[in-house]
Amino acid sequence: MRVLLLLATLLALCAPLTGCKRSLSTRDVNEFIDRADDAARKGFAPDICALRGKNFTLNIDFQGHEESYGPTKIEMNRKLFCQEAGKFAKVQIYNLERKSIDISLAPDRKTAVVKAEYEETMPYFEPDVMPSSPHDFRDWQVVKTRDESVVGIEGGDLVFLSTRGDAVQSLLSRKDNPVPFK
Amino acid sequence: MRPLAGPAMLLVMVGGYLIYHLASKEDAPPREFTDLEFAGADAGHTGSCYSFGTVLFAHRARNKAARTWTSPREDAWMLTLEDVVQGYTGPQSIFQKFTFEKHGDQIRLVSVDASEKISTDLKANIDDLLEGPHDLDSTPVERCQQDGAAGYDFKPSKR
Repeated sequence: MRVLLLLATLLALCAPLTGCKRSLSTRDVNEFIDRADDAARKGFAPDICALRGKNFTLNIDFQGHEESYGPTKIEMNRKLFCQEAGKFAKVQIYNLERKSIDISLAPDRKTAVVKAEYEETMPYFEPDVMPSSPHDFRDWQVVKTRDESVVGIEGGDLVFLSTRGDAVQSLLSRKDNPVPFK
Repeated sequence: MRPLAGPAMLLVMVGGYLIYHLASKEDAPPREFTDLEFAGADAGHTGSCYSFGTVLFAHRARNKAARTWTSPREDAWMLTLEDVVQGYTGPQSIFQKFTFEKHGDQIRLVSVDASEKISTDLKANIDDLLEGPHDLDSTPVERCQQDGAAGYDFKPSKR
């Protein structure tokens, strides 16, 4: 009887876990990507960070607007990514558009590969120049990214396990393009 | 039976908390390590007059890079700093890896690895690490709180 009682207690405590996700569908992944894009648009670091798995890695080849220089490499683990997401809160004008998405589920439906294209528009602040306010900038930067993310289940929730991609930056004069997005 | 239900639930909760707490705790050097005096960059390893913990605290105030500690061997700790810096060619990842070792009652910086264009010279890095406590006029270790105390590049506070 005691054993039964202990089992019942354990079952009761574990009951919430039965609601956890065990396999993925395309719809789940689509909804997850929508949520991730919204979190990026809001720029709230804890939400952006919560969607990354504990061993998350990001690898981006970034081609800056100066084409005479080759691309730089950005490599981040989760800790650094979350720290950088915190800095992102300073960006007050930001537009993110998803141009395409392609989702491939793994045969065991535990992970999915998401290929997506994005266009981000935000103010461009020259390095080593201290702006007097978040609106003190001359150019917009448009960053077109083509990335490939692996999405999986961790602790019952969908998370990004890794992201790698290529980004290309171009500048638009603010004078000629007061607001370059809708 | 009923009297056992409460303790059983409590046991499960406490066990769960401990497992979570132990699994989520990040590695970092213990107090016995950080309380020791940080050695200077001269050949004689003259004490800097600042505890290793004070040096780390002051460095953290100036450097906001993400920090990870690992212990490569007994009495040694490696601090990895990772950051993304903005340059004219775009954002770029940079890193620095400092290995500190315990030698008697001192902590010495024994090796530095870093991204391209960042100095790995031991003296330059030790001097840079000590800039923090010097600038903040941090509290020195006990032996340096007496008049006439000497240490590597140490200037006693005028307070």
